[in-house]
Amino acid sequence: MRCEDFSRRDFLKLTGAGAMAASLPLSFSEIASAAVATPLPAKTPIVVLVTLYGGNDGLNTLVPYLDSTYYSSRPGISVDQSTVLPLGDGLGFNPAMKNFASLWNAKQLTIVRGVSYPNPNLSHFSSMAIWQTASPATSVSTGWIGRWLDTQPLNPMLAVSVGSTMPPAFAGAKQSGSVMPATGFKLPTGTALSQFKSLGAQTAGASSVTQSAALSIANLYQMASTVSSEFAAGVLKPVDPTLQNVGNSNLNPQLDAVATLISAGAPTRVWEVSIGGFDTHADEVATQNALIGGVSDSVARFMSQIAGTKRANDVTVVIYTEFGRRVKANAAQGTDHGTSNAVYVVGKSGVGGFIGDEPSLTQLDATGNMLMTTDFRDVYGSILEDLLATPVGQIIPGWNTKLPLFTSK
Amino acid sequence: MAGGVPSAQASILNVPAVDAGVSNLSTPTFAKIGSLVSKAAKFQDALEYYQLVFWWLDRMVLADNALPERMTWFWHGHWATAISKVNYATPMLTQNQVLRQNALGNFNTMAQSMINDCALQYWLDGQQNYVAAPNENLSREFMELFALGVGNYSQADVTALAKSFTGYKITADSLEAGVITYTPKIHDTSTVSILGTTGAFSPQDAVAVLTSQKSCQDFIAQRLWFRFYNSSSPQPDSTLSDAFATRDIGAAVKALVYHAALSDSLHAQAKSPVEWFVSACRALSIQPSTLPTQSTVFSALARMGNTPFNPPNVGGWPPDEFWLGAAQAQERINLSQYLVSHGNLSPISVLPAKQRVAAAAMWLGVAGWGATTQQVLTSAASDPARLAWLALNAPEYVVNQ
Repeated sequence: MRCEDFSRRDFLKLTGAGAMAASLPLSFSEIASAAVATPLPAKTPIVVLVTLYGGNDGLNTLVPYLDSTYYSSRPGISVDQSTVLPLGDGLGFNPAMKNFASLWNAKQLTIVRGVSYPNPNLSHFSSMAIWQTASPATSVSTGWIGRWLDTQPLNPMLAVSVGSTMPPAFAGAKQSGSVMPATGFKLPTGTALSQFKSLGAQTAGASSVTQSAALSIANLYQMASTVSSEFAAGVLKPVDPTLQNVGNSNLNPQLDAVATLISAGAPTRVWEVSIGGFDTHADEVATQNALIGGVSDSVARFMSQIAGTKRANDVTVVIYTEFGRRVKANAAQGTDHGTSNAVYVVGKSGVGGFIGDEPSLTQLDATGNMLMTTDFRDVYGSILEDLLATPVGQIIPGWNTKLPLFTSK
Repeated sequence: MAGGVPSAQASILNVPAVDAGVSNLSTPTFAKIGSLVSKAAKFQDALEYYQLVFWWLDRMVLADNALPERMTWFWHGHWATAISKVNYATPMLTQNQVLRQNALGNFNTMAQSMINDCALQYWLDGQQNYVAAPNENLSREFMELFALGVGNYSQADVTALAKSFTGYKITADSLEAGVITYTPKIHDTSTVSILGTTGAFSPQDAVAVLTSQKSCQDFIAQRLWFRFYNSSSPQPDSTLSDAFATRDIGAAVKALVYHAALSDSLHAQAKSPVEWFVSACRALSIQPSTLPTQSTVFSALARMGNTPFNPPNVGGWPPDEFWLGAAQAQERINLSQYLVSHGNLSPISVLPAKQRVAAAAMWLGVAGWGATTQQVLTSAASDPARLAWLALNAPEYVVNQ
C-alpha cells in the first residue's frame, strides 16, 4: 500500500491556525537594486532545510536497538537488531542509511534527539504549522525564516525553495522567500520579453493579491536572469563517484539545483527542499525504509557535490519533520501520529555526535507518545544565531536559548 | 463569485437540470485492468488517470453554467482525496459523482454519503480502523478538515469517533470497483461520547452529531469564504453562516454570490492553476481533451501542483500566495502560449485593433485592466495572439478581483 502523499511544501495552514502572510510586493526597481548578481561573500554560512512531510517514524530511523520495549511495542515492523548500523548510546541507523552512518563516522552529522514543543499536536497541519512558524502557543501568519527575511535587505534570492510553491516557513511580513523550479527558468525573447517584464510593474491601488501576481512576474524575470546561465553548466558531480547514482528521485533534482547555484555563488542564505510520503499508518516497513534510505543517500550525494566547491565548509543541511510516530505499532503494520523526533544536522559546521537525551519508551504521555527532551526553538536558536547571525529573540519573541550545536560557537 | 461579472450573479444561480454543454460528454468507464501503478511506471502516466482528468476538465470548460462544476471542484478540495494513494480510477470517479450530486445540496446528506465513500475511506485508512485497534486517521480529519475545523473537538472526541467509524471493509477487488461494505458485526457497539452527545453510534449517527454542531455551520461557511473571497481574512459577518443554518449548500452559495463583499477589490484571490486553465479554455473555445498533446497540459498542471484528483494532502490545495511564485509565472507563460496557439481568437481578432484591449477584458471576465497592463496590451493590440498571451499572464487575469 502506498503511504499518504503528504509530499508538498505547499502544505497549508488551513483552519483556525490562520492564513499565510501575504508578502508585501516589492517594486521591480527595488529588487533590481538588491544587487543579486553579487556573489555571497566567502565563508558565509548557508542553510539547506529538508522538510519531510507526513511525520517520519523516528524510531525506525534512529533505532533504540538495545531497548526491549522497542521490540515488544512493534512486533512485525521493528528493525532487526542484527541489521542496525550502531552509532553508540544503544542507538543505530536503519540499515538503509549507510551513507548517513558514513557521515556520522566522519563527524559530519549531528543528531539532536527528542525534539518537539510543549503540548504536542497530532494533526499534520497544526504540527507542521507550528514547526514552520516557530509559534507553538499562538497562531501567527509568518514563518520563522520569513521573519528572519524581514530583518534583511529586500532580495528575492535570500531564501529560495525549490519546487512550485512556497513553504509557510518562508512567509514574511515585509518579504517572503522565493520559489524556483528544479529545472530553472526559460523566458521568451525580444519584444515579448519586454512586454512580459512590463506586466510585473506594480499598479497603485491594486489589491495585495494582485500586487503579488505582478511581483511574481518581476521575480521570475529577476531570478531567471540571475540563475539561467548557471544551469547551462549541468549537474555538479559528487566527489565520491559511488554517490553519483544513489538517492531519491524527487529529492535529487531539487538538491542538484541547490548544489549548482551554491557552487555558482548565488546570494542565497537559506534553501528549502522537501519530500513527502512519511505518513505510514499501514504497511510501513518497505515504504519508510525506501524513503529514509533515499533521504540519507540524496543528502550524502549533495554533500559530496558541495565538497568539490569553494563552499565545502559553509553548507549545513537540517532535516526535520512535523512529528515522530507512536511507540506502539497499530494493527495495520504501521504507526500513528506521534510527538518528539530527532533533527539531523549535516555538515562540517556541526559538532558531530548526539545532542539532547533520547526520550524514554516507557515514560509516555497520555496518547502513548514520547516526551520531548529538546525544544525545537533551541535548534532554531542555534541556526539563527550561529549561522544566520541574528539574535533568536528577534525572530522568536521571548526565546533566548540555543544548543551547543555548531563548532565555531 | 469574486471575479465574476456582477450582472452574471442571477444567471449563475439558475442551474439547469440538464446542462446542454456537457450532455454529450460520456462518463468514462474503466475496465478491470489493475492498479494505475501496475499499468505504468508512475501512476501519473497511466492512461486511465489521463482519461479521468480530461473528462472532468472537459466538463468544467463545456458546461453552459459553470457553477455546478466549480462547486464540485470546491468540494474536491474540501474532501481532498488523492489518486496517488487510492491508485484506481473508478473509486475516484465514483467519489467525484457523489460530490457533483451533492455540490449544491444538503451538507449533512453529502457528509453521510462521504462516510460511505470507498475512495475517502481508503485514503484515510478507514478499512484498517478495527474495534480492537482503532485507526484515528479518518476520524481526526473528518472533524478537523471536513466538518468542524481545528480546535472544535478534543482528542477524546477523535478516539470516540474512531470507534463509531469502525465496521468498514475494502478489499483489493472492491477498491478497484470503488465499493466499500459496512458490516455491523465488526462495528464497535460500545457507548461513547462525541462532543457531549452520548450513545452507541452507527457511522451515520456519528456524522449527524458532527454536522448538527454550530461549529460545522460556521466552519463550512468560513471555508466558502476562504475559497471564494479571501484566504487571509475571516468572513466579516454571519451572512454565509446564517444562510447555511439548515446545511443547505445552495443557500450558502446564493448568499456568497449576493454578498456585499463581491464588489470589494480587497477580496481578490489568485486563480488556482486549474481555474486559470479552465477559464482560459472557456474563452479560447478549447475542449481540453481535443488538444493535440494532452501531456503538455497535464504535466504543466502537475508541476504547478494542481492536478485534478490528486490534491497534495488531505487539506486540499493551498490558496493565493502559493500560486503566485516565480515558478508558477514561468509555467503560465509556457502553457498560455500553447493554449493561444490552439485557441479561437476571433472574439478579439475580428475587431479593429483599438477596440481589442477593452474587448479582451470582457472576453476574459476581467473587470478592467490596471494602467500598466492597459499600456502593455495596447502595445500588442495589432497582434491578437500576442495580446491574448499577455492578457492571460496579466495580474488582473491571474487574480480574480
